[in-house]
Amino acid sequence: MATTVRTLPTERGRGGRSWYPVVAILLLVLGVGIYGYLQELSEGMVATGLRNLGPQGGATWGLYISFVIYFVGLSFAGISIAALIRLARLDTLRPIARMAEVLTVICLMLAAMTIVADLGQPLRGIVNLFRYARPQSPFFGTFTMVISGYLFASMVYLYLEGRRDAAVRAAQGAPYARFLRVWAAGYADTEAERERHRRTSFWLSVAIVPMLVTAHSTLGFVFGLQVGRPGWYSALQAPAFVMLAGVSGLGMLIVLAAIARRTLRLPERLGPGLFRSLGLFLFLLLLAYLYFVAVELLTNVYTGSVREREVMAELLGGGYAWLYWSAIAGFVASVALLLGWLVLARLRGSLWPLVVAGLLVNLGAVAKRFLIVVPSQTNGQLLPYSEGSYAPAWTEYAVVAGLLALGALLFLGFAKVFPIIPLPDHKDAARREP
Amino acid sequence: MTRYGMVIDLDRCMGCRACMEACKVENSTPPASFFMYVFRLEEGEYPSARVSFLPRPCMHCDNAPCVKVCPVGARYKREDGIVATDWDRCIGCRYCEVACPYGVNTFNWMDPRENAYLDWDDEDVAAVSGGAVPPYRNPALDEPYGPEQRRIAGGGHVRGVMEKCTFCVHRVEDGLDPACVQTCPVRALTFGDLDDPGSAVSRALAGRHGFRLLEEVGTEPRVHYVGGAPPGPEAREVEEPVAEV
Repeated sequence: MATTVRTLPTERGRGGRSWYPVVAILLLVLGVGIYGYLQELSEGMVATGLRNLGPQGGATWGLYISFVIYFVGLSFAGISIAALIRLARLDTLRPIARMAEVLTVICLMLAAMTIVADLGQPLRGIVNLFRYARPQSPFFGTFTMVISGYLFASMVYLYLEGRRDAAVRAAQGAPYARFLRVWAAGYADTEAERERHRRTSFWLSVAIVPMLVTAHSTLGFVFGLQVGRPGWYSALQAPAFVMLAGVSGLGMLIVLAAIARRTLRLPERLGPGLFRSLGLFLFLLLLAYLYFVAVELLTNVYTGSVREREVMAELLGGGYAWLYWSAIAGFVASVALLLGWLVLARLRGSLWPLVVAGLLVNLGAVAKRFLIVVPSQTNGQLLPYSEGSYAPAWTEYAVVAGLLALGALLFLGFAKVFPIIPLPDHKDAARREP
Repeated sequence: MTRYGMVIDLDRCMGCRACMEACKVENSTPPASFFMYVFRLEEGEYPSARVSFLPRPCMHCDNAPCVKVCPVGARYKREDGIVATDWDRCIGCRYCEVACPYGVNTFNWMDPRENAYLDWDDEDVAAVSGGAVPPYRNPALDEPYGPEQRRIAGGGHVRGVMEKCTFCVHRVEDGLDPACVQTCPVRALTFGDLDDPGSAVSRALAGRHGFRLLEEVGTEPRVHYVGGAPPGPEAREVEEPVAEV
């Protein structure tokens, strides 16, 4: 056990010399994002590339909404994996449980901020969404179940699961001891406490896992229930949202785990077994998602209404074709990479195929979200309006980049003050010393 | 019970777009925002091309998708059937806009430009305007309306909220017709109480074969069309409107 503890991020500044330059760059990007948002606040949303549908020939939902879905998707996978690890006793995956929880909390905060950035009246929105909430609106689920319920449950889960580590680290005299002591809140790691925690987080997991389906489905219903938008109105929308959420979230977790393995020098705890499970899981989900894509494609091309076929033609061979086929190529390449990595012993020595697949599915997920949101507005009008167009303005790119930077900063900050990989517990110690 | 509706006679419409103009003047809508829009459509190729016109106000649907999806209830349906926007409550999420199959919603992307169409401070303009209130703001639209006592129209055109056709509720409450109906030189538009068999709108509809736009999506629109036919799948706009906000 002693050797294990020494390789854990026990001292301050762990993460190497590159920590400060990386943070500086991220702060710079965040600054640009804030500047972009201030521009939007002072000028109005005319500073974005969004415009009205119909006579104005634009898209009224664009990059922001695409990233709201993307962020919620990432968060979805995070906490569900953490909860599944507890429920299904996936002990090999336990070292990444905390990373998954932190990913969830951060991404949900980013999603909430992106929604606010997309509102014409942000301050009024924060008040009125709660004051005048209407359960009849599909959007209701997004800010009750997803943003509030899910975020709250994830934070409680993260807190409970971290209490023991906080206590242990505080006792070791780690930096930020005051913060750690507040987190530990008098936890003394007795048998009774451990049992109580185990039970609490078990039941919390039981509550969280069904939300993994329902919460993200509500986001799919925001689109899937709109009869007036060809390309959105589909019973497949909600399940496909859940599926792609899992794909992007798992991909992101693989990338994060690989980075942590590198920077924290933890090849032992973040071992091949863990990556093999993640890779296999991602492979299966990705296949399921591609199946959904094929079903959607076939249905719309074969029997879609006139307008549905128009949207589809725009995706397959029109102005959005480059993005659509790049996304599909990314997904297919990821399938090939994952399959190769899982099957061929020669490739398994390196994590690169896995990391590249993780990155590709995330880029693909962003592209697919954009392709769900935008073309149905610019090319999916039921009345014979002329074709519209939408290109995000620099403010939108800046705000989104700033939010991504903020997420990375929060993650790096958390990893600096708290063990991002859970400390080995008694079971680990027992396994190693039979 | 009053049940407001509109009948549009496509046999009469000649696509002059005077209704669009009247609507802009009456409601002082921002540039590139049209509460009333008239499609100028063509179908087929020369020599068998066919041109048609299709005025498109808000349909004030009985099963309005925009009312259903509004997360804060800012979009609501009045007792008399007019679908209105409480711009004091609207948060600007634009969900109503993507939900509407007719594309009638317009969002205020920026603060209203006071002299968007005409420089009212110009000396020559002042000489002929006789000190009239510049129409970038309609004081009649600032007030809460009806039994609901809620805000209802695009008064002030506040930045960051939604707007759309109101059937000119401020005129209707004074017993007048909406501006588009009033203006139409060939009386293609008729407005009134659909429940009153003696009203102009009921008489315009009586005994005529009509249709409503996109009936198949189940929105139950309150705007009826008589004469002519719905636009076919190949219909396209004659000109591409280039509208800069």
